[in-house]
Amino acid sequence: MSLTELLSDIQSLSRLDKIRLIQILARDIEHDEADLIEAGQSYPVWSPDRAYSAAATMLDALDEDRLQP
Amino acid sequence: MSAAEQFPYVPRDPALGLASLAPMLPLTLIGSQSIDTMGLVDSGAAVNVLPYSVGEQLGFDWDQETRSVELSGNLASVEARVVVLSAVIGNLPPVRQAFAWARTDDVPVILGQVNFFLEFDICFYRSRGMFEVRPKS
Repeated sequence: MSLTELLSDIQSLSRLDKIRLIQILARDIEHDEADLIEAGQSYPVWSPDRAYSAAATMLDALDEDRLQP
Repeated sequence: MSAAEQFPYVPRDPALGLASLAPMLPLTLIGSQSIDTMGLVDSGAAVNVLPYSVGEQLGFDWDQETRSVELSGNLASVEARVVVLSAVIGNLPPVRQAFAWARTDDVPVILGQVNFFLEFDICFYRSRGMFEVRPKS
């Protein structure tokens, strides 16, 4: 069901029900976001983020590779 | 401007679902042998990284590759050597890529700044779950 289809029903709700709906949706969104990163799980980061010396060596290797017939 | 190819983010760990979505690029690596694999497109990585078994499958001999490099992060303690090979992505022309061939399989193929990002322009659309790869112009 699309939002457009729901909208007229939502707009016909009482003020109190609209507030309840906002609270339910806010809780759902918060729950979804919390699920993305779970406590106790391991999230490895493999990026060799400061391997600049390695990067320079690899650029040299590429230069040599280009010179090969 | 060259045509871009689009690829979806894919889950790397089914148990973690959305939290494990990553820009994994299907590509063919060509040494003396060739293999189809997936590479993590990682703008935070200074270099490309090749797992040990993938390097072996491509036909590289550890003892013949004498140019050592030092990695950082989780890979700081892992020995690595430079290999240069060709990579083919989708229908794009092959490009020469240098990899730090790491002596571990506890790492994915990583496509980093040197020299994947030197050869390709990448646009990440994480909210749409896709990314684009375009050869440099």
